[in-house]
Amino acid sequence: MQNEIKLNFEKSLSEGNYSISQKEIKEKNFNKFLKQGFPNKRIEDWKFSDLNQIISTNFEKLDFYKENNTSSIDDDFINEFKHNKIVFVNGNVSKIDFGYENKEKIIINQSLELDNELNENVLLNLNTAFLSSYIKITINKGYQLQKPLVLYNYLTSDLDCYGLNMRLDIDLEDNTSMDVMNISNETTKNNFLNFRQKINIGKNATLKNYSLDINPTSNIKYSFKDIDLDKNSHLEYFILSKGSKFAKHDINCSLNNDHGSVVLNGVIDLDNKKHHEIKTSINHNEENCKSYQLIKSVLNENSKGVYQGKIYVKSKAQKTDGYQLSRALLLNDDVEFNAKPELEIYADDVKCSHGSTSGNIDENSIFYLMSRGLSHAQSKKLLTNGFLNEVVEKITNESVKTLVKKLTGIQE
Amino acid sequence: MLTIENLKAKIEEKEILKGLNLNINPGEVHAIMGPNGSGKSTLSNILSGKKGYEVNGNVTFEGENLLDLETEERAHKGIFLAFQYPLEIPGVNTNTFLKTSINAIKKARGEKELDAIEFLKLIKQKAAELKFDEKILSRQLNVGFSGGEKKKNEILQMSILNPKLSILDETDSGLDIDALRIVSEGVNSLRNKENSFLIITHYQRLLDYIKPDFVHVLKNGQIIKSGDYELAKELEKVGYEDFN
Repeated sequence: MQNEIKLNFEKSLSEGNYSISQKEIKEKNFNKFLKQGFPNKRIEDWKFSDLNQIISTNFEKLDFYKENNTSSIDDDFINEFKHNKIVFVNGNVSKIDFGYENKEKIIINQSLELDNELNENVLLNLNTAFLSSYIKITINKGYQLQKPLVLYNYLTSDLDCYGLNMRLDIDLEDNTSMDVMNISNETTKNNFLNFRQKINIGKNATLKNYSLDINPTSNIKYSFKDIDLDKNSHLEYFILSKGSKFAKHDINCSLNNDHGSVVLNGVIDLDNKKHHEIKTSINHNEENCKSYQLIKSVLNENSKGVYQGKIYVKSKAQKTDGYQLSRALLLNDDVEFNAKPELEIYADDVKCSHGSTSGNIDENSIFYLMSRGLSHAQSKKLLTNGFLNEVVEKITNESVKTLVKKLTGIQE
Repeated sequence: MLTIENLKAKIEEKEILKGLNLNINPGEVHAIMGPNGSGKSTLSNILSGKKGYEVNGNVTFEGENLLDLETEERAHKGIFLAFQYPLEIPGVNTNTFLKTSINAIKKARGEKELDAIEFLKLIKQKAAELKFDEKILSRQLNVGFSGGEKKKNEILQMSILNPKLSILDETDSGLDIDALRIVSEGVNSLRNKENSFLIITHYQRLLDYIKPDFVHVLKNGQIIKSGDYELAKELEKVGYEDFN
């Protein structure tokens, strides 16, 4: 694969319009990726998800360069509520529409100055090397979006065995608020998506981020989010991880000033040999911050779920309140769930706790429901939906909550 | 309606039922009384199809071999078990559950399923009859219900599903006098020429409210004596220990 990737890289470099310094940065990142390759299980962060192996078993070839023949698509599939939108087609931005907002308050920047610093995460190196389209949204001080922003990600059928590198940054200035939901429509097979996001949440600002992976696809996805929170800011983050063959959500969240808070909830709902991971790192760098994480997983038919959750508390981050809980329901003998909770605490006046349970579905509950005429499958569905519903109920944007319930059938 | 012949049941090599015989005709109310560990709950579990027992003997329900049927098929045919300990089902709304249940049974019987409006009408009426606070029905199934509420919920389910054979497994345990009366009225309102009841209890008290046609004494996995309501009174006086 190496030679092909090299050719891909040279081609993308020669055809892109990059300055010499930008080219150098790309080369530096590419060479690091070339040397290290995709991460494997010997790397601690990838202990439960050997991406190198997953890539080599799923792809005979993997192209990272394709001539730009993107057609534009304007076919919303979310009709349930009014929203702003950004449409990506095969990794490129095809439409930006903030029709419900005061456009003077929203700055869109599509040219990225690449950072000279070489990141340790090799997938971020890959992202930097091949990144062709970039978008940054800045919400100006004091502005609160009227409607949610939906990020549509279309992958159309002329893509196959293709590696996509995308980046979307969000900068919420002080006293702003925004709800973002991303959802995809993928008619392609066997692609690798490498999605990077850098998010900055200013003082007294609120971001609600809903990440939905619902429809079954053979695509393999990695998403990395680096989120910084300032004083008194709030992040609500919800993940529904269900559709992709493989998905890893890597979330690095830093509470950099006092009284910030993070609520991170996730549902992993898998069947048919799927393998999904949620990895979080919540860094309490200042005092009086709160973080809450609840991850619930339902595993069926040879699937594998992973939750690695870390809470880091710096010595000056007194009065930290950190909580994480993972619960998994294993529906077959052939499924696997790995949980790795980690607390690293250097302050002495903190409240931190974690818990992890995994078990089978309760046969007595199944008997109770069946004795009321429900079939075994119906009973199981009702119980697993009830199990997952607790997480879905925590979505505070009512329109999104209703949509998630409709799309997944998860409800009381 | 229900015929049980020489029913034997083992769980993990322990024999619990040791040749039980019982015949219930349409419209009859039978009470089974017995001490702890006599096999009362095992009998109700086996009749409603709980797995985990090694069962021998014959059980026919309306001419069909009951032991061949799955739990949900028994429910479709009209067997209902009011649980001694109704399970708490987190995340499952009581109304959703009730609607799924009644429509599963209607569907299996080839009847038209209830739409949301028909269902709400039915549930409103039945809840009022049982003096059951409707608000409880929008909560998660049995989660945080008091003991009395759980039992009333069982009777509510019974009255909605209108089964041919209702088995009440110690429905009176944990009920105060008022709740006991309401529950009994619920049962009595379902009594008619077609519906039969099998009431399992430790105490005579419930039988003061629901007058049974027959009373059986279950001891060591067998029915050792059958009689009418007077037998229950006698039991209450003598106690199970000395009853032979």
